[in-house]
Amino acid sequence: MNNNNIEKLVPVFSAAFAVIYIFSVQLNWALFTYHPKIRQWGWLVEPGRDGPPMYWYGWLVTSTLGAAAVSVIAWPLLRNRPTQYWLGWTVPLLVIISVFYFFRDFFLR
Amino acid sequence: MATFLVILHGLLAVALLGSITHQAFAVAWPSRSKAGFANAYRAVSSPVYANANVVLFIAVAILGGVIYPNYRVWVRTYLESARLYSAVGSFEVKEQFISIGLGLLPFYWLLWRRPEAAGKSARMAVTLMLCFIVWFAFLVGHVLNNIRGLFGL
Repeated sequence: MNNNNIEKLVPVFSAAFAVIYIFSVQLNWALFTYHPKIRQWGWLVEPGRDGPPMYWYGWLVTSTLGAAAVSVIAWPLLRNRPTQYWLGWTVPLLVIISVFYFFRDFFLR
Repeated sequence: MATFLVILHGLLAVALLGSITHQAFAVAWPSRSKAGFANAYRAVSSPVYANANVVLFIAVAILGGVIYPNYRVWVRTYLESARLYSAVGSFEVKEQFISIGLGLLPFYWLLWRRPEAAGKSARMAVTLMLCFIVWFAFLVGHVLNNIRGLFGL
């Protein structure tokens, strides 16, 4: 795969990363859980063992792997088209706006 | 150790804030004249900031990830017991923005690696989005780090 081909995949990666990430947060698709108080790791989503669990690291890995997979799957569709620059920023922008909506309860209590 | 890492995290964030703000001004409001401070600030070469911004963003995010457990165990529980839900929510929003920013970094790097006319609007949009994310994260982090002093708690 040459540089030009990778250029076509990168906007798709960024768009897919943002979408998969917000789904990961909302549906808790963490690939692993960290228990900071006892410094232990666990696979997938676990309830707190002692103290609060942390899913952020797991969400990041889920999103990275998911976005990489989506980019590869989308490759046949992108191969003969120009680079879809718009996709790489409009989708993350919409996800950024949606974050305020999903987390509004913290500010409305 | 945590205090040292928080200070280092803050210092690198300041460097990133300056660098990406400079680039954002230069790309969104460029100037050909270098006469005076405001024009000179906007007349810089935007592409030279890209690699530094990528490295700084990743470094600040990694340091944030390293000190995050301290926040989760000690600070957030305090904020929740003090019923400071807006502060907790601000950090949650910051956390999600940083993640989305990390996902944007490859695209940002690509757009600045070889600036082409076809990607001009995307280049400006991504740079401004990252600039917004960095400012938001910096301000939230700064306020939370000093919340007891700022609000007399």
